[in-house]
Amino acid sequence: MPLLELSDLRKRYGGIVALDGADLALEAGEVHVLIGANGCGKSTLCKVIAGSVLPDSGVLRIDGAERRFRSPREAAAAGVGVFYQELSLVPSLSVEDNLLLGREPRRFGLVDRRAVRREAERQLALFAGALGPELAPDSRVADLSADQRQVVEILKVLGEDARLILFDEPTSSLDRRQVAIFFELVRALKREGRTVVFISHRMDEIFEIGDRVSVMRDGRVVETTAVADTDPGRIVRAMVGGEAAAGGAPGAAPGTAPAPARPGDATLLRVDGLSAPRVDGVSLELRAGEILGLGGLHGQGQSALLRGLFGIEPGVRGRIEVEGRPLRRPTPADSIRAGLAYISGDRGRDGVALLRPILENLAYGLVTREGGVAFPRGRVAGRLGPVVERLGLRFGSLSDPVRSLSGGNQQKVVIGRWLATAPRVILLDDPTKGIDVNAKADLFRMVRELAEAGAAILLYSSEDGELLGHAERVLVFNGGRIVRELSGEGLTRHALNEAAYATPGATPGAEAGAAA
Amino acid sequence: MSAQNPSASAAVRRRLGALALHPLTLALAAAVALLALGEAISPGFASPGQIVSQLTIAALLGMVAAGQTLVIIGGREGIDLSVGGVISLCAFVAGNLMAGTDAAIPLALAATLALGFAVGLLNGLGIVLLRIPPLVMTLGMTGVIQGALVILTRGVPSGRSAPALTALMNQPLVAGIPGVLLLWAAVALGVCLLLHNTAFGVRVYAIGANPEVARIAGMRPERIRALLFGLSGMFAGLTGFLVLGYTGSVFVGIGLQYVLPSIVAVVIGGTSLAGGIGGYLGTIGGAITLTVLQSLLITLDAGPAGRQVIFGLTLLVLLLLYGRQRGLRG
Repeated sequence: MPLLELSDLRKRYGGIVALDGADLALEAGEVHVLIGANGCGKSTLCKVIAGSVLPDSGVLRIDGAERRFRSPREAAAAGVGVFYQELSLVPSLSVEDNLLLGREPRRFGLVDRRAVRREAERQLALFAGALGPELAPDSRVADLSADQRQVVEILKVLGEDARLILFDEPTSSLDRRQVAIFFELVRALKREGRTVVFISHRMDEIFEIGDRVSVMRDGRVVETTAVADTDPGRIVRAMVGGEAAAGGAPGAAPGTAPAPARPGDATLLRVDGLSAPRVDGVSLELRAGEILGLGGLHGQGQSALLRGLFGIEPGVRGRIEVEGRPLRRPTPADSIRAGLAYISGDRGRDGVALLRPILENLAYGLVTREGGVAFPRGRVAGRLGPVVERLGLRFGSLSDPVRSLSGGNQQKVVIGRWLATAPRVILLDDPTKGIDVNAKADLFRMVRELAEAGAAILLYSSEDGELLGHAERVLVFNGGRIVRELSGEGLTRHALNEAAYATPGATPGAEAGAAA
Repeated sequence: MSAQNPSASAAVRRRLGALALHPLTLALAAAVALLALGEAISPGFASPGQIVSQLTIAALLGMVAAGQTLVIIGGREGIDLSVGGVISLCAFVAGNLMAGTDAAIPLALAATLALGFAVGLLNGLGIVLLRIPPLVMTLGMTGVIQGALVILTRGVPSGRSAPALTALMNQPLVAGIPGVLLLWAAVALGVCLLLHNTAFGVRVYAIGANPEVARIAGMRPERIRALLFGLSGMFAGLTGFLVLGYTGSVFVGIGLQYVLPSIVAVVIGGTSLAGGIGGYLGTIGGAITLTVLQSLLITLDAGPAGRQVIFGLTLLVLLLLYGRQRGLRG
């Protein structure tokens, strides 16, 4: 009998189907790899197991008994431990307090500080020699580096003594030695009969540590095999499905792929050896009229690159040139004046001030780009008229707050803000998140027009179809680096998915050949 | 664009509805109701002379509350508790520079405005550079200023207003209206223009509504926020200057009575304590309502407990009306 069994799980978010009848069985003492393209439903599946998402229908059994987790606490009580990609540590607390948060050893009803220290030291000793000397039990988590935090997070989950542990990209920030130690710990878990679900963005890790692998596509588990009986090529084919294995590019209707930029076109953006948090030595060139795609799994540095370029996140090193002029340590204001624009799909965080009028939201870019003292509302509205017209923005009055608009129209306001500044280089950071099909089509129509008018577009999308349909060249990211460049005939859904799991630093040609 | 807009009559109706529910309208309606009530209870309460003298008091409150409005709109728990201390300090400095002579008025005014701005900017720098919460920073600043004043004056009132300044506060200038009310009108016009018709105003609302969006749009939220505290200090300085004219001489704690009313005036004026929405017109209404309410309570001789009850009820009724308005807007 499997330790955990899922059958016919279904979950919808509004119009989007995240799980469409997923089945999965996990045996005791195995490392089970879960793999799939962005949006295939694997994170929703994990959330169901972890108790943070309640499925619409379907059955979850543990040891053959049907269970229904209404909260993460209930899942934890049933023996499920979770390592989250989004770190769940409390930054202001010490390492030891985080490790034992919620299960501190007690003595006479009070927290036994000495026992806490002993336990934390025992756990940290597992990674002895691979963490740097400055990491002590009483270090504040806020002061740790990314890899140290990730190790603490791993140790915290291990300390929970769970029978089933979900590891969602536990190795993304770890170096080679730390990964080796982590794998040793996973093997120890197996020997104790515990079950590990492992999600990774690195194919080589999957083959090193996995016992069985389940491939997800379109909200379903489409294949489960022993790792020993499969190979990377077969896994990628299962991820992509039959149609794309033939080499076609579904999602891109014939004739919609843009014409390649003319060779004579000027280079508008040149990036050389750019590093930032989560970005590791990226170089690229972008010509006028070109739509360059950034691909790969979620969170591999695409968004961090765009935010670094625009000056939103500090700590950017390397050369950036816009139209031949260097942009050093950019701030958003510098970038805007140099002709850059940044459009994020996370509207609530980055895009609109919901309480403010549409007019003001549309004018933010102009206000920065042109400076000036006065803000004559009537004249500004007149200037924005053509932009509003072009966007097909649907609204009552320009003085209504932005929150009176639908999500798609809110996104149009963000786009309109930048259209008004006539940018030369447009950075699109997963811009279609949570907007409907029509709004998506409008957005890409506009992006096309901008490119045809001579702007250069850098497009990150978590939907492969958008990259295939609109970019003529795609740089695939993994672990903060560009691992593959795809263009022309080589730009297929299959190639995108295969490249997404490529190892950073590996020779591109060799793996592509092996998978074909 | 016109095709997407609702029909003209609907637009007019909507605009009228918005006007009827504007915080200024509501607050003024409340003030008129309070005046009528006062007149009924104690004839002469709403006489022209009484109204002018109440507006004069409201003008002082309105000036402090101008800075408070800016700081609160700027968001991130923006609040300035140091206005009381700054009023006391600036009234003291102005009184000593002036020492009863008209000739020293320009210097005294310039000095108070500069001093108020400097203290406010210091608040702002502490808040954005050292990340001290505004509540704590400005409360601490109040302690420092009031302490320094006790040391400087040894607790004895000092300094004297110049005759021209006193006249500005107490004598009719044009058509029975004292100069201070004209000055208030000018300040009101200036603040409204600043908020609604300048790029700076657009930035102020943006950083209050969503600082991250503002930052990505190339604005500098920290710099603007520090400047807003500077302006709040400047308005408090101006108020201190006028308070000197109103009372003639200065005692150490003279400004402290303005702290809480300045915040209440902003809130009943419809500005959200969360930042990003509101404006100065509402605050003007709030300052007038609050002043009339206070003098009514004094006239009624309601006793402390009765005053508290009536004061609290008025606030609650106004806030309920705003809640309704927000529902309509949503």
